[in-house]
Amino acid sequence: MDIFRLYTKSIGMLLKSHLQYTSSFIMQTLAQLVMEGGEMMVVILIVDRFESLKGWTGGNLYFFFGMMSVSFYLTELFGRGITGDFPMMVRTGRLDTFLVRPRGVLTQVLCGGTDPRRITCIAVGVAALIMGSRLSGISWNLLKVFVLVESIAMSMLLILGLFMIEAIFSIFSVKSVELVNAITYGGRSACQYPIDIYPTPLRALFTVIAPFALTLHVPASWIMDKPLYGWPTWTAFVTPLSGAVVFIFMTVMFHLALRHYRSTGS
Amino acid sequence: MSYIEVNNLKKDFVVKKKREKGRLLREKDTVNALKGISFSVDKGELVGYIGPNGAGKSTTVKILSGILTPDGGSATVGGLVPWHERKAHVKNIGVVFGQRSQLWWDVPIIDSYSLLKDIYRIPQRDYEARLKELSEALQLDELMKTPLRLLSLGQRMRAELCGSLLHRPELLFLDEPTIGLDAVSKLSLREFLKWENKEHGTTIMLTTHDMEDIAALCSRVMVIGHGQKLFDGKLNDLLERFDTVRNVSVKYDAALPELVLPEGVECSKTEDGIKLSYKPSKLPTAKLLSILQDAGNISELTLQPENTDHLIAAMYKELDL
Amino acid sequence: MRAYLSVFKMRLRMELQYRGAMIGGILCQMFFGLILVALYRALYAGKPQSVPIESVATYVWLQQAFFRMMVASDSELLDKIRSGDISYDLCRPVNMYGFYYARVMAQKLMGSVMRAVPMLIMAFLLPKGWGITLPSSFSGFLACIPALALGLFCMCALENITVAFTMRTLDPRGMQGLLNLLMMTLSGNLLPLNLFPASWQKVITFFPYAQLLDAPIRLYTGEYIPADAFRVYVLQAFWVVVLISLGAAMWNANRKRMIVQGG
Repeated sequence: MDIFRLYTKSIGMLLKSHLQYTSSFIMQTLAQLVMEGGEMMVVILIVDRFESLKGWTGGNLYFFFGMMSVSFYLTELFGRGITGDFPMMVRTGRLDTFLVRPRGVLTQVLCGGTDPRRITCIAVGVAALIMGSRLSGISWNLLKVFVLVESIAMSMLLILGLFMIEAIFSIFSVKSVELVNAITYGGRSACQYPIDIYPTPLRALFTVIAPFALTLHVPASWIMDKPLYGWPTWTAFVTPLSGAVVFIFMTVMFHLALRHYRSTGS
Repeated sequence: MSYIEVNNLKKDFVVKKKREKGRLLREKDTVNALKGISFSVDKGELVGYIGPNGAGKSTTVKILSGILTPDGGSATVGGLVPWHERKAHVKNIGVVFGQRSQLWWDVPIIDSYSLLKDIYRIPQRDYEARLKELSEALQLDELMKTPLRLLSLGQRMRAELCGSLLHRPELLFLDEPTIGLDAVSKLSLREFLKWENKEHGTTIMLTTHDMEDIAALCSRVMVIGHGQKLFDGKLNDLLERFDTVRNVSVKYDAALPELVLPEGVECSKTEDGIKLSYKPSKLPTAKLLSILQDAGNISELTLQPENTDHLIAAMYKELDL
Repeated sequence: MRAYLSVFKMRLRMELQYRGAMIGGILCQMFFGLILVALYRALYAGKPQSVPIESVATYVWLQQAFFRMMVASDSELLDKIRSGDISYDLCRPVNMYGFYYARVMAQKLMGSVMRAVPMLIMAFLLPKGWGITLPSSFSGFLACIPALALGLFCMCALENITVAFTMRTLDPRGMQGLLNLLMMTLSGNLLPLNLFPASWQKVITFFPYAQLLDAPIRLYTGEYIPADAFRVYVLQAFWVVVLISLGAAMWNANRKRMIVQGG
């Protein structure tokens, strides 16, 4: 509870500083809207031309897209400290100030960054979810709402965990942006479509190493009453937890890496 | 046992060399930043820690404040090992890095303090009392609502000090606190540090290049070079042992007056004035200046600044490093 | 002209320095390419289109290979704008538009060629239908090269327009983000332009963004026959002229404004 209060207070303060540059902030938020709108338009154009994708209807595709974009941009909104700012925190020595305070380093990193511009991207994602839900004729009940929330939360942990790879590299002052982008942004691009359209190696990658298939596709397809690979209901509840597993693993790695932190930035 | 105990502390850094032509992998080099340093500091001491750039000053401070993990040796602060019990340890310390800020750039400094209150879990009443005390001592009252980025360098340093002392740390590390400050700011900063040390018994360890800082503040000084401790003791002893000569040039309005100078001062005439060389350990600078002033109206006076680099250079010569 | 040439050469050498970033970038771009080809293959399995899958794959690979040409921007220049140092540059007697045009051109050319060559080799090694195919004809291949060059000219002119906007607002992220996005969508990077609805294509292919890579790629795959080449060049050249004049005018206006302000 105490940590939660600290987090909301920190984020409130960051918002204050963002709003000191109002016009630039509005401009950037609009740019984000156009960006995610463009991504969405591509899916609409694809549905318009191809109608369906290996048994998935247009509505299904919108739903997958919405799940991914809500999870991804919520992570960027709240986890900017990890998804964007961390290498700079190392370079400017802000990590040093975190280390001399009696709080968890990861907590402080997360408290140290937010990206409110993503709010428009999330709005596009929510619109896609609603559209997908209507077109797929999903009949909602409490269990489905629970699975939806669980799936988004776990996908967020997974995405955060993947971005932590870059954070860990930057502790050793190794630049890895482009390589890590392949798995993070690449994962987003690939997994906003259903996983079973991909050949086995790609499927394995996104099931075992970056398990978007487990945190997102299994529960989402169950919600749409089209369970992936025909897996039983309980899998929709259990497999998303792999997101937490990845996050915990990466957190441990992160703290191990901190022991070798050299603090060269100044 | 002393408050800070450091024993044979070692730290190596691996540095990648520039890639040579025709080689696929870069060669690596190990740099011994600390080659086994030992010292102890008692509670309430005010210690100056000096040495040339790259000598290992910051490395020591960073290990003692829990940022770096050493490669060998041991260290405890108040019985805690900084890199093992980081959170418990850093509750009791404050750190000010001269060139980087721990406050938030775009928001009023009072907001930063309020967040620090939550980070350190300071009780509200305690926080209010301490903030009042510090803002009086540091003259921050007027500045509380100003964002950090709009403060001058001197004001910023005062704001940083306040932030690092809110939680009443037992130990304060200062990494080159006076760098870039004007003379007035330097003086008031030193006054404050003396006050904090006296009033609350806060142990202070400061690294600096400015001998005036040391002379004004520290009863004890440690010198480090090439990762080794070269000297540990009183400032006067240091000055005596590795005495360097300091130069003053003076010009007078009228003709050169007769100067009665104590022994050990060399005097030579220049075109329109005189140049004096003296040893500050034998003859305090203030005394020499008053002698010069009493002799006549001074039109121009240049005092060669005293800095640690001269001293260290002399020490290296003597210790053959 | 001499001055521009030496700037160009210096930049080329600088680009060669960043080998590590280059390898990372190639792997990342390869991965994106694979995902996209896999997606289009799956889509084609359900409903084949008039454009064969091989040319879609070729389209994707060429887009990915020359991706760097589109996104690379001169970070040094952006820093100068933010810090205000740009005003010194603009007041120099040399034509600064040309100076920075040459710089950005070297950056884009070197950056994209060095990435494109290894990527295209790897893409050729992929199985048929996954990788890139040979050009439809030798004349198609020949026709593609000048088109690529004209596309690069167009690209650099666009980049300098973005920079001109940045000089006005001093904040590179807003306008740059917006223009970059327009470019990603309308140049065919997100979705090949030949998969857009036919009615949209008539308009989009006329836009400057389609001249960058879409037109050269279509010459390569044979969607535009070599006889079309002349028409393509004229349209490209038209945009090069328009965009350079527009950009230069904007730079000029910025310069005047800065001199008035006493920059």
